[in-house]
Amino acid sequence: MVVAKQKKTINRLKSMYPLRAKVNETYLKSIEAIQAGKPAVWGMLNFYYGDPILKAMDIEVVYPENYGAIAAAMGVARQYLDRADAEGFPTHLCGYSLTTLGYASRMMKELQGQIPPEAPLGGMPKPLFLMSSAAICDARYKWFQALGRYMDVPVWPLEAPIPGIKEFFIEGYYDRMVKLGVKHLRDFVAFVEGMVGKRMDWDKLDKTADLMIEVNRVWHEVNELRKAKPCPMHSRDFWSAMPAALFLAGDLEDSLRLYQDMYGEVKDRVNNHVGTIPDEKYRLVFAELPPWHSLAFFDKLAERGWDFVIESVGYHPPIPIDLSKVSDPLERITKFSLQFLVGYYEDARKQSVLGGTTAYPYLKYAQEWKCDGALLHPLISCRSASTHLPYVSDMLMEKLKVPSLSIEGDIVDLRLFNPEDALAKAEPFEETMEYYRKMRKQAGFDW
Amino acid sequence: MYFAGVDIGSTMTKVVLLDKAGNLLSFIKGPTGPEHRQLANEVMRQALEQASLQIDDISYIVATGYGRLNVPFADRQITELSCHARGVSILFPNARTAIDIGGQDAKCMRIDNGRLVNFVMNDKCAAGTGRFLEVTATTLGIKLEDMGDVSLKATKKIQISNLCTIFAQQEVVALLSRGEKLENILAGLHDALASRVAALARRLGIEPDLVLTGGVAKNIGMVEAVKQNLGCEIFVPEEPLLTGALGAAILAKETHMKAVRAGEALPTKSRRLEKATFFSQEYR
Repeated sequence: MVVAKQKKTINRLKSMYPLRAKVNETYLKSIEAIQAGKPAVWGMLNFYYGDPILKAMDIEVVYPENYGAIAAAMGVARQYLDRADAEGFPTHLCGYSLTTLGYASRMMKELQGQIPPEAPLGGMPKPLFLMSSAAICDARYKWFQALGRYMDVPVWPLEAPIPGIKEFFIEGYYDRMVKLGVKHLRDFVAFVEGMVGKRMDWDKLDKTADLMIEVNRVWHEVNELRKAKPCPMHSRDFWSAMPAALFLAGDLEDSLRLYQDMYGEVKDRVNNHVGTIPDEKYRLVFAELPPWHSLAFFDKLAERGWDFVIESVGYHPPIPIDLSKVSDPLERITKFSLQFLVGYYEDARKQSVLGGTTAYPYLKYAQEWKCDGALLHPLISCRSASTHLPYVSDMLMEKLKVPSLSIEGDIVDLRLFNPEDALAKAEPFEETMEYYRKMRKQAGFDW
Repeated sequence: MYFAGVDIGSTMTKVVLLDKAGNLLSFIKGPTGPEHRQLANEVMRQALEQASLQIDDISYIVATGYGRLNVPFADRQITELSCHARGVSILFPNARTAIDIGGQDAKCMRIDNGRLVNFVMNDKCAAGTGRFLEVTATTLGIKLEDMGDVSLKATKKIQISNLCTIFAQQEVVALLSRGEKLENILAGLHDALASRVAALARRLGIEPDLVLTGGVAKNIGMVEAVKQNLGCEIFVPEEPLLTGALGAAILAKETHMKAVRAGEALPTKSRRLEKATFFSQEYR
């Protein structure tokens, strides 16, 4: 008997698939590098700060954070979570960290440094060193320190202080941040040179930095197109396509071409009024990190006419900035990374909103992408992706009359997410969105 | 012309029958049990008997609650939040906030002109629900319906964890073994549940009048504890379990009358009250 294949509700972009494949390519190249006696490291999402340096030094990088998401999405995280539990790590720690601590324990204690055979995408090979970062998330220092103990390799912490809005506008503050950043990167370059036994190719770094900035500029432009009604690209495509810009996964020149292709496809959809779901009844913004293990949940919501048109500010590229006159590549890299952290501060200050990096952008998103509601996903195991959400919810309601639905869950641990319960809340939330549509009209908003 | 609202909650199933003018003809409450489909028929039959009506006399039926999809004779399903909001605003026209504490969840609702406009619910934890009291009542060896009156005799309020029902149960056992008085433990339990629900309500924002519904609202100790935690007056319906079913019946009436005014024929389901099973062809 031939069973008809069920049609997917979300109309995925064709140009997304080769970008998504960059992730697989990254893990494969990392294994190949180790087999060929070349360096590979484990890196923390560092918001463009350390990645171009490793890339210019021909070092393959894999990202435990990303790997945690992959393990969850492929349904194999549970065994590593259980292993971390058995190692004595509290279950309420970051789900990404627990997954990779379980992985590290399996690799080092049970398999003497060999990649676990069941590991998704071929696994992460034993690294030459670990590059951690304090950007956005405080837990990530301690996580990599713990990983370093399993791996018995050096851990370089990339410092990335984030000022509040008020402090940022103290005279000379930005310049001092840049100076500190450049000095720190110089030290990092020296460390990497020592680890791999070769000198930095500064011309290559120059070119890598420019490519990184251009890749992210095009990626930003793709997302700007999503303001169109109906929305031409769903959040699921965003999450699938982001690693090449966010982690610099794969070859940068190739990534640039692929994002340009994506821009073309999305633009074409806009011109032809092609939406991402059949009937866009509600446009929503999603904050913050998605339940990687249950992404099909968004298909269920799409069946109800919920279109996720913008999402996850922490994964979005910085607002484009002209750095063409900055000759020192380290300064260019530092300023680009800072742009991610403080790029919204001026606007946030004007609107008297705190939380310029994580809260204010959601106001901008809701207003410019014309959102009817916000789906907030506070994580039981993550402070950094959760603590700003009540403020986001309050600001959206206070300034824009956009309501929020909060659904607790976790990025990795399926046991902490109840899709049935979440879906049960969807129907009444539609009444709430309808009500506030009227309220916004009465208040003079244009959506 | 008659209308019915059927509310299948996690613990109790409720049916309300109304006439064309919105007068209450009968209501029935019964434990839900594991098989929604069978019980919906039975409770509906009892409600019809009480009102001396036949199932074919009912013009439109709305089902609500967790088991709303398992009412094969219902013409429409509407979420319990909308039905509660509607039911509360019929009983208390000035109500702007409602808190419903049921066996499985706690819901806080903001209401405007009888419509639900915003809500928050507890997440995946029994500690903020009626189950918290059910579990500890068993441990304390006291009937659920006696908890409220006994707690009002308390001379002090013992602090008990409200983070986890199981931990609270263990605490209760320890308190009993220390010789703490039952009424003081109960006052502590009510306060623990009330503070959790109050936090939920504050997150939504409270605007008077505030109405408390659900099975837990029958417990006078809980009503007092919620009042103390929120520091405002609370209104409780005479039958706090029925607001969802009442709202469903009202919405059934409104849906039907709207269609009549528009000259439209509303599709309705078969009015058979036979026992349905998961294998019944018609109800698949």
